[in-house]
Amino acid sequence: MSIEITMPRLSDTMETGSILKWNVGEGDSVSAGDAVADIETDKATMEMQVYDDGTIARILVPEGQTVEVGTPIAVLAEKDEDPREIAAASAPPLEPAPAAQEPAPAAQEAPAAAPAVPAPDPTASAPTPATAAPVPAAGAERLRISPVARRLADEHGIDVSLLQGSGPGGRIIKRDVMGALEAGRETAAALVPSAAAVAVPTTPVELSPAAAVPPAGVRLEPGLVPLSNARQTIARRLVESKTTIPHYQVTVTFNVDPLLDLRRVLNEQLAAQGVKLSLNDFLIRGCALAIHQHPEFNASWAGESIEIHGEVNIGIAVALPPERGGGLVVATIRQADRRGLREISAEAKHLAQKARTRGLTIDEMAGSTFTISNLGMFGVDHFTAIINPPNSAILAVGAAQELAVVRDGQIVIGHEMSATLSLDHRIIDGATAAQFLVSLRQLVENPATLLV
Amino acid sequence: MSTLTKVPAVDENVAVKLPEQTLRKWLRDMLLIREFEARSMQAYQNRKIGGFCHIYIGQEAVAVGVIAALNDDDPLITAYRDHGHALARGMDPRHCLAEMFGRIGGCAKGKGGSMHMFDKAHHMYGGHGIVAAQCPLAAGLAFATKYEDEVINGGTSGRVTACFLGDGALNQGAFHEAMNLAGVLDLPVLYICENNGYAMGTAISRATTMGHEITAKAAAYGMEGVTINGMDVITVYNRMKPLVARCRESSRPIFVEIRTYRYKGHSMSDPRKYRTKDEEQRYEALDPIDKLAEHLKAEHGMGPDEYEALAKDVRLQVRDAGKWADASPVPDASELYTDVYADEWGPYLGTTPPPMLGEGPGPGPTKPPQPA
Amino acid sequence: MARIIEFRDALREAMSEEMRRDPRVFLMGEEVAEYDGAYKVSRGMLDEFGPRRVIDTPISETAFAGLGIGAAMMGLRPVIEFMSWSFSLVAADQILNNAPKMLYMSGGQFGCPIVFRGNDGAGGQLGSTHSWCVESLYANVPGLKMAIPFDAYDAKGLLKTAIRDDSPVFFLESERLLSIKGEVPEEEFVVAFGEALVRRPGTGCTVVSFGRPLYFCLEAATILAEEGIDCEVIDGRTIRPLDLAAIVRSVRKTNYCVVVDQSWPFASVGAEIAAQVHKACFDDLDNHVVRVHSDDVPAPYSYDLEQQMLPNTRKICEAVRSVTYNA
Repeated sequence: MSIEITMPRLSDTMETGSILKWNVGEGDSVSAGDAVADIETDKATMEMQVYDDGTIARILVPEGQTVEVGTPIAVLAEKDEDPREIAAASAPPLEPAPAAQEPAPAAQEAPAAAPAVPAPDPTASAPTPATAAPVPAAGAERLRISPVARRLADEHGIDVSLLQGSGPGGRIIKRDVMGALEAGRETAAALVPSAAAVAVPTTPVELSPAAAVPPAGVRLEPGLVPLSNARQTIARRLVESKTTIPHYQVTVTFNVDPLLDLRRVLNEQLAAQGVKLSLNDFLIRGCALAIHQHPEFNASWAGESIEIHGEVNIGIAVALPPERGGGLVVATIRQADRRGLREISAEAKHLAQKARTRGLTIDEMAGSTFTISNLGMFGVDHFTAIINPPNSAILAVGAAQELAVVRDGQIVIGHEMSATLSLDHRIIDGATAAQFLVSLRQLVENPATLLV
Repeated sequence: MSTLTKVPAVDENVAVKLPEQTLRKWLRDMLLIREFEARSMQAYQNRKIGGFCHIYIGQEAVAVGVIAALNDDDPLITAYRDHGHALARGMDPRHCLAEMFGRIGGCAKGKGGSMHMFDKAHHMYGGHGIVAAQCPLAAGLAFATKYEDEVINGGTSGRVTACFLGDGALNQGAFHEAMNLAGVLDLPVLYICENNGYAMGTAISRATTMGHEITAKAAAYGMEGVTINGMDVITVYNRMKPLVARCRESSRPIFVEIRTYRYKGHSMSDPRKYRTKDEEQRYEALDPIDKLAEHLKAEHGMGPDEYEALAKDVRLQVRDAGKWADASPVPDASELYTDVYADEWGPYLGTTPPPMLGEGPGPGPTKPPQPA
Repeated sequence: MARIIEFRDALREAMSEEMRRDPRVFLMGEEVAEYDGAYKVSRGMLDEFGPRRVIDTPISETAFAGLGIGAAMMGLRPVIEFMSWSFSLVAADQILNNAPKMLYMSGGQFGCPIVFRGNDGAGGQLGSTHSWCVESLYANVPGLKMAIPFDAYDAKGLLKTAIRDDSPVFFLESERLLSIKGEVPEEEFVVAFGEALVRRPGTGCTVVSFGRPLYFCLEAATILAEEGIDCEVIDGRTIRPLDLAAIVRSVRKTNYCVVVDQSWPFASVGAEIAAQVHKACFDDLDNHVVRVHSDDVPAPYSYDLEQQMLPNTRKICEAVRSVTYNA
C-alpha cells in the first residue's frame, strides 16, 4: 500500500507551508525518522520526517511551492512495492503555477433587495398620530417610564401618556402610576352619579331630565393646576387649528321625528340581541354616506393641493372623566360608509367605553377624515366645534328638542335637532357646505335610507 | 550549548542479574513508547491532535526504569511530557491516543488532552501543564498515603510517591516550597528530575544556578540527592531500587537527578535551533532502546528476527490504538457541563467517571466513614 | 439548646465536629497548631487531634495549598487555612488551576473535596496588601464554591457543609467578625449552600449582601426606617451557588434593589448580581440596580480614609434613597 505524504502541520497555527528543499529524490529509499525536506512554516523552517521505511515513488510538489497543510506532496512506496508502478498510478505533479487556488469567486450575491418599504398609501386614512388629540405631537420626547410602572399602568388600564413623570428626566415611575390609580379611585368615590352635568356621556341621546342642582363648595380654592402632557398637547393643537385654518360655520336644523321613530322601532325589535342604537350612530352613518357625494368633506389641505382620502373614517369626540385626565379624545370609526348601523353602534360604544377606562391605542385614535362632536346629551341647543386637523370639517350636534314646529303649514309638537358644520374655507366653500347639508338632511329626515 | 558536556559513562554496576523476561518487557515498553510518540507526532502533523504535544523520545529508559522500581500502587505524578510515564505505568495506548484526539474514549473523556494523562486504576495522577505545579501535589499524594496508612489505619506508611519534573521546574517557587515542605513533614516522596539539559529552548547553564550539580539543591533541603545516567534502563532500575526502598522505609523525601536527553524538540513547534546537530547525534548514539537491544542480543541471545517481531508487534498495537481512537466518538455537548462540580446544581450535571474505567473506578482511596 | 458563643468558636466547633466524624478531615496552615491559630480559631484543636491532624506549615502557601489538593485527589478532606485570603494570591496557580479543575481535567476521575478558609476583607488598618476581598476575583472561576458567613450560626453551619461538600470550597471569613457572639445550637445542624436568608423583612427596597457588610446594611435599614423606607435585607450566604430566586422574590415585592459588595466595583460579584437581577426582574424594577462597593482604590492605612473607603452605612443609605427616588 503506497503511503501518501502530506504537508504536515509543524506548528499549531500553521495553515500553509513551502517546500524550501527536498533532501531526497524520486527513487531514493528512506527510513522512518529520516528528514526528507525542509519546510518553511509561519514560524520557522522545520525539518519534515517520514514515519515509515520505503522508497520515494513520486514527488508531487516541487521546491519553492507553497501548499495548504494536508496537501499531498509525495508518495512513498513501501518495501514490497515497485516505486515506478506507484509513480505511474499516482497523481501528476502540481504545475509550477502558484499553488494558491483561483481567487474565490469575488462576485457576491447581489445584496437581497432591501425589504420593501410599504409605499405610503395616498388613499390611506389620515396619516399622523397627531390627529389624535392626546398623543404628543411629532417632536415631543419619547416617553420615559420604568418597567414596573409600565406594567402596572397596563394592568390597571391607565393611559401613561396622561401621566406626569416625577423620576429623573421626567421618567414615569411607580408612584406616579399608583398616584393616578389612587386619584381615580378617590374621584370615582366622590362623584355623584347622576344623569346631569358632569355625568359620563354617551348614554343614548335623550332629552335630559330636570337637572339636580350641582354641589357647590363654601369657597373657591385658588392655586395652580398642573396640566398633564395630554392636556398640554390638546391645548397646543386647538390653538394651531383655530389660528391656521380659516373656520366658518353653517347651521342646519333637522326634523328628527322620523329618525326617533325608526330608532325606537329598531331598538324594540333588536333589544333581545343587545342592540341599542343612539341618534349619534345614525348621524355617523349619515355623514359617511353624505361624504360620498361631497368628497371635499373627506379631504385634507396639502398646501398646493387638496388630498382626497379614499377611506371614510368618522371620528367621534369622546369626553374623558377627570380620573382619566379630563379633556377629550377622538375615536375613529373606520370605513363608516361600508358598515351597517349595528356595527357602527357597537364600535362607537366599545371605543367610547375603552377611551374612558383603559385608554385608546394610537390606531384607535388615528386616521379620521371627518369628525362629529355631540353635546346633545347635555341638552345643548347648538354649538360650534373646532376642526380636528387634518380634517376639512367637523359637525357639532346639539340635542333633539321637543318644540313647537311647523309641519305642512300647521303648528305641531315635533322634535328638531340642530347641527353646525365648522369648515375649512380653503377646501370647502359655502355653496358646497350647503349642498352637503342638503344631502345630510335628505338622509337624516328619511332615515330608512340610512339602512341601505 | 549544553552543560552536559560530560557524557555520563555507562554504569557498569549491574549488580543484580535481571531475568530475561523482565528485560524483554522493558524493551517492548520502550519500543511502545517510541512508536507511540512517533505516531503522536504524525497525528499532530495531520491535525488529529491539537494544542500542545510534548514528545518523550529519547527519555524512555527513565520512565520504564523508574516505574519498574516502584510498586503498582505507589502514586505517580508528572509534568506535561507524560505519555511515556502513562504507558510505562500500564495505561492502554488506545485511551491515551483517544484522549489526544479529544474523544470520549480518552482517559479524561477528551477534556484534558495530551498534558493530562490520568488513570485511577493505575494510580496515575496526571499529567500537569503548569511547570512544577505537580510538585506540591506530589507532596499531597505522599502526605495522603502516609496519613491513610498511619493515621486512619493505624499502620506504617507503605507507599512512596514518584514525582517527575524537568530541569526547568528547578527554577519554580513551587518546586522549592514542595521540597522544603516534604522535608519538614517527612513525606515519602521521590522528586525525580529528568534533566535533559534544556528547559524548552533554554540550556540549564543559562537558567539554573548550580546547574552543573543540581543535587546541591537537595542538600539545601536536607535530603539525599543522587545522580543517575538515564540513557540505560538497567542502570536506572538498579540505582532507583535502593532509593525507592529507602524512601519507603524511612518515609523521608529523596531527590534524584536522572540525566537524559530528548531527541525531539520541546514540543511540536520547536525547530531546536538551540542545539547543535553534533550534540543531537552524539546522544542519538546513546539510544537507550538500541542499548538494551544490544544487551539482549549479546547477553541473552535475542536474534534480529525476534527484535523485528517485537517492533512489528508494537507497531501494530499502536496502529490499532490509532484506529480505535479514531473510531471513538466526540464527547456529547452535555459533557461540557459534567465534572465541573461533584454534585448537580444550576446548569451543572454532576460527575461520571470516564468510559475508560469500565464498570467502576477501580481501586480507590479511603472509604468514607461508616455512620457513627 | 442554643448557647451564645463567638464566631471563632463556631468555626472551631465546625472543624472539630467534622474531624471527629470523619477521620479523613485534617486542618493545615500557618500557626494553626502550636500557636492555637493566628486568630485563635483553632485553639485547643492540637490537644484534641494531635499533630498528625492539626498541622503547622512553613510560610509556603503554594506548597501547602498544593499539598492539600494532592491529598484531596487521594480522597482525604483537607481544611487548608490561609492566615489571610490576601496570602492566597501566592498560591493562585494551585487554588485556581488545580483545585477547581481537577475533576474536569481528569474526566471525572479525581475530585478535590477541599476547603480553603481564612480572613477576607478589610481587617482594620492592615494596609492594602493585607486587606484583599478576593470574592470577586475568584468567583469568576467555575468548579469552586464560595461561602461567606454572617454570624456564628452560619459560620458553623456553612463550614460543616463546606467540609462535607465534594467540590472545592472557598470559605471567606472576616477578621472583624471573629469576636461577635451569637446563638448556636448544641445539636448537630448544617446550613445548606445556595439558600439565602432574609435578615430583615421589608417591603420598600431589597438590599442584598454577604458577610460583614450586612451589618452596615442592617444599620442603614434602621436609619432608613425612620425615613419611611422599609428595607428588606437579604443575606446571600453563598456566592457560588447563588440563590437568585430569593433575590428575585424580594425584588418582585419591592421593585428596588441595592447590592452591597465589599470588593472593588469593576467586574465584581455586585456587578454580576446586578446583571442577573436586571435580567430576571426587568419588568419589576422601578429603577436600575444600584451597587455599593469599596471605593476603587487600594485600601489605605489611615483610619478615617479606610472607613470612607468601605461600603459603609452612609453609602448604603444614600444608595437606598437614590434607588427609591427619595434622594
